[in-house]
Amino acid sequence: MALMPKRVKHRKNQRGRIRGDASRGNRVVFGDFGLQAEQPGWLAAATIEAGRIAAQQYLREEGRLFVRVFPHKSITSIPLETRMGKGKGEPEYWAAVIKPGTILYEIGGVSEEAARVCLARLAHKMPVRVRFVKRRLM
Amino acid sequence: MSDSLEVIARTANGTRESRRLRRQGLVPAILYGHGIECVHLSAKRELLEAVIRHGSRVVELKGAVQTSALVRELQWDTFGVEPIHIDFLRVSASDRIRVKVPIDLKGECPGQRAGGILSLLLHEIELECTADAVPEKIHALVAKLELGGLIKVRDLDLPKGSRAVADADETVVSCVVPLHKGDDVAAATGGVEPELIGRKPTEEGEPEAEEA
Repeated sequence: MALMPKRVKHRKNQRGRIRGDASRGNRVVFGDFGLQAEQPGWLAAATIEAGRIAAQQYLREEGRLFVRVFPHKSITSIPLETRMGKGKGEPEYWAAVIKPGTILYEIGGVSEEAARVCLARLAHKMPVRVRFVKRRLM
Repeated sequence: MSDSLEVIARTANGTRESRRLRRQGLVPAILYGHGIECVHLSAKRELLEAVIRHGSRVVELKGAVQTSALVRELQWDTFGVEPIHIDFLRVSASDRIRVKVPIDLKGECPGQRAGGILSLLLHEIELECTADAVPEKIHALVAKLELGGLIKVRDLDLPKGSRAVADADETVVSCVVPLHKGDDVAAATGGVEPELIGRKPTEEGEPEAEEA
């Protein structure tokens, strides 16, 4: 089961625009290494889960993986071959809104080489361009 | 560890002037403390980045001002690539200061060999020490950490004259049994569709559809 909120105020959200860069959630906080988004986009719950599984399969209970994003936004769509109108479509999936700079995943307790390989596997699954980052001391 | 940094006085302040400076390869800075008026400065980015790379907390400022200063705050751009501003606090060698020092794990953990995960919960610790005796890092010795064991702040070997500001019972490192696959996700997931706040569920137990 992919991630989704437990309780929401409204089932459907407006699409909105992703403006500006991330000013929060843009530092490696929990682990030692991270995967940072360089582009804006929506990260579907299924993609977040696919990335988590890919990382866990590589780590094999050695290090720790932290998922830093959560899909708060419901994405609706109208079924195929449906005439326009008749209201907004039904929620299709849930997605996290990603601003450039957002840290998507973090890894701790492994060497830098292992973290690079692990996050490279993850990066292939991401719908936005990402880069490898390290924790800063200052 | 103390490095020296060449600084230049700046007269023009504000966002636009700061951006102009950054385009010229300079980083805006400010120096304050000791009840003396603050001084607006700038430093060459390459020199500042060298100081950051060395992990220096106390630096000797040269050029426009001649004083030793603590790197109080460092601001980075969105991607954490370029420093955009730095705050210096005037300190003398005997001043007692509060500074965050990274924690480094030392030794091979026997609990890890037994199948546990070594989890560093506190990445840096706030210390109170004299300005001339700021340690580069604090070592947490994990060579005797068994599966299910903890290292707390009180167990850390701090340098003479320094005191931890953090709670003595705070956990620094733990060696825990790994979670089974999917445990963390199961806790975070709800049902098929989320519950609607402020809406009563219908007889079938399904949340009511939103009115058009």
